[in-house]
Amino acid sequence: MMGILFSRILITPIDFVGVVTVGGLEMENGVRRWLVNISQWNPSEAQFASVISLFRVDEQTAITRYIKFEDKKRALVSRLLQYSLVHEVLGIPSDKIIIHRTAEGKPYLKNSIDFPFSNFNFNVSHHGDYVGIASEPLCLVGLDIVSITTPKQETELEFINNFSPYLTALEWKNIAHAGSSEEMLAEFYRYWCLKEAFVKAIGAGLDYGLCRLEFHHTNWTGVSVYIDGVESKKWRFSLSKLDEKHWASIARGLPNKANELCCSDLSLPELGFTFRTVEELISNVN
Amino acid sequence: MASLAGTTISIASRPWHSLPAAKEFSSLKSISFSSIRKSFPAIRLRPASSRLQICCAAKSDTLEKVLKIVKKQLAVPEGTAVTAESKFSELGADSLDTVEIVMGLEEAFGISVEEESAQKIITVQDAADLIQELVEAKTC
Repeated sequence: MMGILFSRILITPIDFVGVVTVGGLEMENGVRRWLVNISQWNPSEAQFASVISLFRVDEQTAITRYIKFEDKKRALVSRLLQYSLVHEVLGIPSDKIIIHRTAEGKPYLKNSIDFPFSNFNFNVSHHGDYVGIASEPLCLVGLDIVSITTPKQETELEFINNFSPYLTALEWKNIAHAGSSEEMLAEFYRYWCLKEAFVKAIGAGLDYGLCRLEFHHTNWTGVSVYIDGVESKKWRFSLSKLDEKHWASIARGLPNKANELCCSDLSLPELGFTFRTVEELISNVN
Repeated sequence: MASLAGTTISIASRPWHSLPAAKEFSSLKSISFSSIRKSFPAIRLRPASSRLQICCAAKSDTLEKVLKIVKKQLAVPEGTAVTAESKFSELGADSLDTVEIVMGLEEAFGISVEEESAQKIITVQDAADLIQELVEAKTC
């Protein structure tokens, strides 16, 4: 009953700041799509240290364990996004936010949340220049960002061949027919991006069996997934080009017990990404 | 350009019905990376002689070789300490890197790694141990 009430509220258009106006009142709807371009943030060692110190010791350790600085940077910005989003959407004071990770490494909010956000979930991703986060109040959400990188030690085709166990025959055929080797590479990365977004939404690991998923699309719009040969009505996907080298995909799916008829969330148009700066996120968290 | 066009044509002309259906493989609990890869145009060939060379290889040799492959794949900066205890995630490996590393290890050691086993590799030592196990099972 409550679920249906909630879904009716969400039918009203969502503006890009993630609130809806219902009867003149602004209400938080829990949906966010944020991106940070980390190539635009170049902190000194001291600045970096001061930002890390905003977090609890366990998070600091997790960030500093990365060997390469770029990975430390991504890990830090990922956490800034997580804490900032949870604080903004759910109003929990930053120092009270508890984020744990599943065995597969997926971060999730440990704090117990009441209706209407009891199924609130988020997902982060980073690759290349971008770190992103996506959140949903009810649907499961997965985000994946890919940075199309020309392989250094092999040809594009050799590189893609490594991943043939994860692609279906149709996908492989589409990649092979994409054109030049650069176009084939980009085509592969788009399929990979979608598969990863799905697997991350459901919280599975690499052993999910990515070849069970087959993505159908019309010029990369109207994307749908066939799981074990059957089209799934419970999942929606979107693919966005961030810039010449980066693409991001969002997977949104109904939680297991939800019936597609009672929950209109899935048919809502996909929200675009909002670009945030590290400075904004820091002041949010502080 | 000509060679690339040639490769593209060879992929397109391979009739799908002659290849094992993807569904068959996906229903198996554990899938060997290389058994499926053979169904697609094989660009990488594993020389049979490498099997004889690595029979009874010392454990430290295996670790050295694994470290070399991992450092190369992950472009670890020179002078960075990478040890057996180093975790792949801390070295910056993402899912794409993990697949490539496992493929690289399969080729270098002439073995097949099951998807399930690949999932369990957390540190460089885990990879070396798994390889040692697979190599010994195969050759000794």
